[in-house]
Amino acid sequence: MALHIKKLQFKFFEILPLLLLFFISLNGSSIINVKFFSVNIHYILIYYWVLRQPQSLGYGFIFLSGIISDIVLGFPLGVNALSLLFVAGVAAYIRVVTVRMTLLNDWISFIPALLFANFIYFTSLYISDYSVDYLYLLKNSIFTFIFYPVLWGLFSLILSLTKS
Amino acid sequence: METSREDVGIAIRSAFLRKGTQQRFSLFVLVVFSVILIYLETIETKPLNGIRSFVKDVIYRGAAVSSYPSKIFSTSYSFFENHINLYGNYNELIKENEELKDNISKSDFLELENSQLRKLIEEQIESPSNFVSARIMLDKQSPYLNSFVINVGSNKGIKNGMAALDGKNFIGRIVDVNFFSSRVLLVSDLNSKIPILSEPSANHAILSGHGTSEPTLEYLPENHNIQDGDKIYTSGKEGIFIPGIPIGEAKIVKNKIKVLLFSDLRQITFVNIDLGALD
Repeated sequence: MALHIKKLQFKFFEILPLLLLFFISLNGSSIINVKFFSVNIHYILIYYWVLRQPQSLGYGFIFLSGIISDIVLGFPLGVNALSLLFVAGVAAYIRVVTVRMTLLNDWISFIPALLFANFIYFTSLYISDYSVDYLYLLKNSIFTFIFYPVLWGLFSLILSLTKS
Repeated sequence: METSREDVGIAIRSAFLRKGTQQRFSLFVLVVFSVILIYLETIETKPLNGIRSFVKDVIYRGAAVSSYPSKIFSTSYSFFENHINLYGNYNELIKENEELKDNISKSDFLELENSQLRKLIEEQIESPSNFVSARIMLDKQSPYLNSFVINVGSNKGIKNGMAALDGKNFIGRIVDVNFFSSRVLLVSDLNSKIPILSEPSANHAILSGHGTSEPTLEYLPENHNIQDGDKIYTSGKEGIFIPGIPIGEAKIVKNKIKVLLFSDLRQITFVNIDLGALD
């Protein structure tokens, strides 16, 4: 019985990133927005898990969650999906070229991921004739970068639970 | 130098072209697929629109179900907050009630005068509009797009561009129609531009959203005479909305003319969609 519970617990923590990914997309809460504070948790979630445990988040699921986000938030189909795939792409690249992974390495390499993703996001919205608040986008990127270590800690805890 | 460039190439190829463990698609394939999807969004054909409508309807329902827990939480929170603020609200209401009593006599007189004047110019008082009521199904206020999804679509005759009203006040327009749902773009959104008319100054302008709760007036004539408290109505110049739908009240802040909306966009549960004039 205890073994069974342990197995269930392990399974739950293993699929937790996936559950979070779809919950965020369906709930339209990829951006936490409280007054001046605005963080894109979608980017952090995908970056962390593709970097640390890619088998937990398939690229197909990331694409699907981007499509769901587009529909829920009212953007043209593919805009969020494309920017999320670029975050995953940078994370996959960093995973290939990095030997030792630390918070500092992850954190610094998150900057190009954010820049790429926001560039893609902005360009595809511009092509689709949507106006974007540039200042908000910049503010969001800065806060997402600052907030990264907090979620890094939380996700590392979940990761250690799946491994134990 | 040559070797390091090769290494970067190999790493990029490995990240984008190779399928990882338990991955069914490579990143490159999905990126190409996303680009195709963005391109397809610009094409309007009946079969494509049908597929899009179906997919959106299904996801809107799923999203509505998944957002129940957060909805319950926010409802309970506001319920609790209302209870805490009860005493303060009660005092405010007493004050407001006294002011309203004073105003009743004034408004009775104005109403009488108005009906007499209307009779004089033989104006048709009946509204020529035809409304459909709808409930807000999804209200995900993205910082990039201020919009919500309502539970009626082409099944009730909704079309792109129709006006969405909260009671009698203009709040936005339809921008996306599916079979059983539609998306309303609010006046506060960055992409919203509505032709308006101010009263009593009688100036035409464009009401532009900025992502905040206070849209501003743009393209006003240089010698305009809009003042604080002027009422803002739709002008109907674009030929879609009926003229004279109330929107808000002008407020001049640092040479900018802001519009205080008559409706609180965060507190709307039901909306009326103006289907246009009845034949």
